[in-house]
Amino acid sequence: MNKKQSLLFSLVRGTAAILIALLVTTLLIFICADAPDGASLGAAISAKLTQTGGALHQLLIGPAFRSNGSISAKNLSDILAAMIPTIFTGLATCVMFSANQFNLGAEGGIMLGAFVGALGAIYLRLPAGILPVVCVLIAAAAVGAMMLIPAVLKAKLGVSEMVNSLMLNYVVMYFIKYLLNTHLADKSKGQVQSYPFQADAAIPQLVDNGSKLSWGFIVALVFVVLTALFMYRTRWGYAIRMIGINQDFAMYSGMKVGGIVILSQVLGGVLAGMGGGIEMLGRYTAFSWSALPGYGWTGITVAILAGNNPAFVPFAAFFMAYLDKGCNLMSTYSGIPAQLIDIIQALIFLFFAAEQFLSRYRQKLVVRNTQAELKSKAAQTEGSVK
Amino acid sequence: MLLQRIFTTDFFFSILRITAPILFATLGAVIGEKAGISNIGLEGIMMISALFGSLTAYWTGSWAAGVLLALIVGVIVSLLMGFFSFNLKTDIILTGVAVNMIGSGGTLFLVKVITQVTEGTALASTTSLITKSVQVPSVNIPLLKEIPILGDILSGHSVLTYLAFLLVYLTWVMLYKTPLGLNIRSVGENPNAAASVGVSVLRVKYIAIGLSGAMAGLGGAYMSMYYAMGWSQDMVAGRGFIALAAQAMGAGEPLGSMLAALVFGLAQALGIKVSSLGADSNLVSPIPYLVTILGLVVFALVGAAAPGSGTPPPRFRPPR
Amino acid sequence: MAEEYVVQMKGITKVYPNGIAANQDVDLNIRKGEIHALMGENGAGKSTLMKMLFGLEQPTSGEIWINGEKVALTSPTVAIATGIGMVHQHFMLVPSLTVAENMVLGMVPKKSGLLIDSGSAIEITRKYSEKFNLHVDPTARVCDIPVGMKQKVEILKALVRGAKILILDEPTAVLTTQETTELFKELMSLKEQGYTIIFISHKLAEIMQITDRMTILRGGKSMGVYETKDESPEKISRLMVGRDVVLKVEKGKAQPTDTVLRVRDLEYINEWGKKMLDKVSFDLRKGEILGVAGVEGNGQKELVDMLFHLNQPNAGSVEVNGTSVLGLSQRKIRSEGVALVPEDRMLYGIAEGGTIEENLISDRSGSKRLNRGPLFDMKAIHAECDRLIKDYTVLCKSGAQKVKMLSGGNIQKVVVAREFSNNPKLIIADQPTRGIDVGATEFIRRKLVELSRSGVAVLLVSADLNEVMELSDSLIVMYGGQITAYFEDTADLSDDLMGEYMLGLKQQGPEEVGRVCHE
Repeated sequence: MNKKQSLLFSLVRGTAAILIALLVTTLLIFICADAPDGASLGAAISAKLTQTGGALHQLLIGPAFRSNGSISAKNLSDILAAMIPTIFTGLATCVMFSANQFNLGAEGGIMLGAFVGALGAIYLRLPAGILPVVCVLIAAAAVGAMMLIPAVLKAKLGVSEMVNSLMLNYVVMYFIKYLLNTHLADKSKGQVQSYPFQADAAIPQLVDNGSKLSWGFIVALVFVVLTALFMYRTRWGYAIRMIGINQDFAMYSGMKVGGIVILSQVLGGVLAGMGGGIEMLGRYTAFSWSALPGYGWTGITVAILAGNNPAFVPFAAFFMAYLDKGCNLMSTYSGIPAQLIDIIQALIFLFFAAEQFLSRYRQKLVVRNTQAELKSKAAQTEGSVK
Repeated sequence: MLLQRIFTTDFFFSILRITAPILFATLGAVIGEKAGISNIGLEGIMMISALFGSLTAYWTGSWAAGVLLALIVGVIVSLLMGFFSFNLKTDIILTGVAVNMIGSGGTLFLVKVITQVTEGTALASTTSLITKSVQVPSVNIPLLKEIPILGDILSGHSVLTYLAFLLVYLTWVMLYKTPLGLNIRSVGENPNAAASVGVSVLRVKYIAIGLSGAMAGLGGAYMSMYYAMGWSQDMVAGRGFIALAAQAMGAGEPLGSMLAALVFGLAQALGIKVSSLGADSNLVSPIPYLVTILGLVVFALVGAAAPGSGTPPPRFRPPR
Repeated sequence: MAEEYVVQMKGITKVYPNGIAANQDVDLNIRKGEIHALMGENGAGKSTLMKMLFGLEQPTSGEIWINGEKVALTSPTVAIATGIGMVHQHFMLVPSLTVAENMVLGMVPKKSGLLIDSGSAIEITRKYSEKFNLHVDPTARVCDIPVGMKQKVEILKALVRGAKILILDEPTAVLTTQETTELFKELMSLKEQGYTIIFISHKLAEIMQITDRMTILRGGKSMGVYETKDESPEKISRLMVGRDVVLKVEKGKAQPTDTVLRVRDLEYINEWGKKMLDKVSFDLRKGEILGVAGVEGNGQKELVDMLFHLNQPNAGSVEVNGTSVLGLSQRKIRSEGVALVPEDRMLYGIAEGGTIEENLISDRSGSKRLNRGPLFDMKAIHAECDRLIKDYTVLCKSGAQKVKMLSGGNIQKVVVAREFSNNPKLIIADQPTRGIDVGATEFIRRKLVELSRSGVAVLLVSADLNEVMELSDSLIVMYGGQITAYFEDTADLSDDLMGEYMLGLKQQGPEEVGRVCHE
């Protein structure tokens, strides 16, 4: 099967996965839709159907277009702003999964990064232009260092990086919660939060419409490029990918497998930490996260949709952010809880990652392709004989 | 003086109470791993079962119905996991992650729909729905409770608590004394050997993952119908993951894994006790997770130093 | 007469999708109650033939008759039902289960409907064990018992499932001498009880000892069936080991100079306690191709593994240009100028999911000429890969094609292109042309000669007689983990002589063998 067909197949498969997820979603919306009490079955069903239609409209069309048909710039900038953390966690997961490391610590990583960035924003005394940059850098470094734990334990002792990273997520969360509730709490505020950031720490906004679309978005895109370059144009990214494909081959070829296993996870941490710092300083004026934010899990979905290729991360992140916005609109206007996005996410990536999904279709394509090749070869030889 | 304040009979009672849900999930992990399946979706299954179990108890007024349904839901979810992993060939880890996503977000979605809670309320729960009458009942074992100290520790637990520890024995019996257990262990160790004598590897794997889900289902029921009243967001709090560590530390055996689960139960009980004496709960909550990491490290070091591990293999192939 | 044959394979041909014919029009007739040897070198087609008898493979054409009836052996289950049992070379046992449990797996006796009747399982095991004189400990765990007993369990497993015809695939490969003697006693006892045994092997001495008749395969074809007692080892050796076509290679005379590889007293005992390398010592010089001949399983694989740190020896030394390479990382070994064309190219040689380019640069991804600062110099990489693809005539669409899309021969050319092109001082080529087409084979052989004549030391490990005899300048024969012969000049070596050394009928004295150590 040639490259074009392979691409076509992937597209078909991806679309099928999304359609199935949407089908289940529609079903769920239908079930949850309100029907007027005491109505007859037919009336109830039609009421539900109208509701479902409305909800689906909000889910799929709502984020882009207003009810009068015009494009909603505000919604779109909301979506772009929402992409910032998930681009970073998506990149982090791409790097780690490419080395076949199932490190799920991007979740705790982004929270720690946000926290460290916040600390810098509160306490570091630096000039305006430099402060946010330094905060983000130390956030990245801190999380990179934290990832050494599961990374080194895996490389040296063979301990599951998955369980370790999952545990670390919780440890990080409680550690931050503790500090947030005690030493760093701004008691003057109604909710639990830290002292406010210095004004100089804020990352400037790209658009001034309340979407919080900061320059962090541009930074995110820059890092998409950098990560893609790293993975496909440097010897370290190359080693990461080769180890993910065939560790024995990598070892036999002379690559330092242990070191690369560690590198991939530390880099994942650096990216997640950077995402946390940027998200915190681009959107908030004080730190108030008291639970894991969920960006890490979305990052996994993004990485899977992007096929572990950093270049496709922004598209996957946009897609997820779009759907998320749709779910939020749905919950505001139709009363369907926004957590539907989790179900959609899980379904999409279940089918996306299922290698045998539509495999029979792929078989048919391969067979058809081979037959066509053989036919043309036979025609060629016939022609040359004549 | 401080020790006396900490190590009361109540404390030891609480260890057993806290260990029970972890133990259910651990047994699920043990059975799965014996068949070669890494079920990291136990966490999600527990959440989903916790919700359905408590809801059923509320609607039917019977705790037994709730527990039964929680178990059935656990089996169904795990069989679906099996379908995606064994038939569609999604990596089992990713399937587990997907189940966890549904377990955390999907359950919240359902609860919000049921309780008609719209956006704005941060934590939705079914707490109001579960009253004492549909909670899993506690049992006072007649002769046992008369024994000083031990009686206070061992008697008065819920039916499910006793079931959890009983299941350790039953799991052992299943694995080592029944033909099914023989098949499970064969499929996990050498599927070729099993296939060569006509054992259906696929069927055995489905049964194993189904049993694993059943255990997690019971664990979920325990959480929402005894440990706490009703379902609330994030209530399982990583027990499904701790179970994986307990299984690893227990060398995959029912008894050893039970001991490992007790260690985590102890860590958590200690933490709760210490925080009730004044320490910050946020400092104490991470203890079980830290203990897990340490436990895995210790276990790996001990395993490496064990006799027979001799020459380090030149192949870099760490276990998952 | 046809009735006396319990197994008849008529005109069996097996051609694989990649065009390789593993069996060509082979006839096999087994009498009831005989021990029949199926002989041949590796690659002769014995395993494939037996796989078809056990239902693991289907013949492309031909018929199989069991007990006078034509059968279609579509799966092992069908074969077992027809009374055929197979003891594989790699045991199908579950290590943590006991012997009795392994015996009854899939047909477990039950008590109280739910539990294993382990008493009954042990009883069955004991009964069969005594009946067939195959002593096993029913309650021992398989991981704890010696290899010899594991094999007995495998045989009992087949017997308890009703096998009347037993296929044993290279059964003595993993046994010590003592265990082998025991096995033979058991086989004779089985024969007396009317069981039919097909014994796959290439070990001449054993075949002469125990079998009634033998069918010899060579190159996928049958060389005939013979009565064991009527034949001499030399004649069998000639039938087994020989080339129908001698492929001469244009070589020119070798002019070896300094020693590059120095191996002394290498010893290795494998996980089953068998000594696979027994004081192996030899030198390999610049500019020569030293062949390592021998039937597989005599230590060649272990030797290669030691040289590239895929395994570690129990004793001995390995030096490349004076530097010890034992225990060094593959990176360091490569930096000493060693390259390896691995036997299993899919496992080590390539990353299947990668592109041709990615596979070509795997040993030099950090080199200065392919990098500009932190980034790859893509132009340089493309140029180098294009050059390699052209020089090694790799048939592909471009360097960006995924390597798994290539044919076996082209995949090997990618491996070889990489290994040969990084200025190696020593090339270890392990079965370099196994399973690939003629064109690729010729190309790789020519390349090896070219490199050798330009000063590279080549260690050629090959089970292909043509290759090892024609390509090598000198060769050593390995048998039983030892070097049993050294021929400084392969030019006038006869097939018959080679056969006798390879099958262990002849052995050179230590002085003669010692000449392979030039220092």
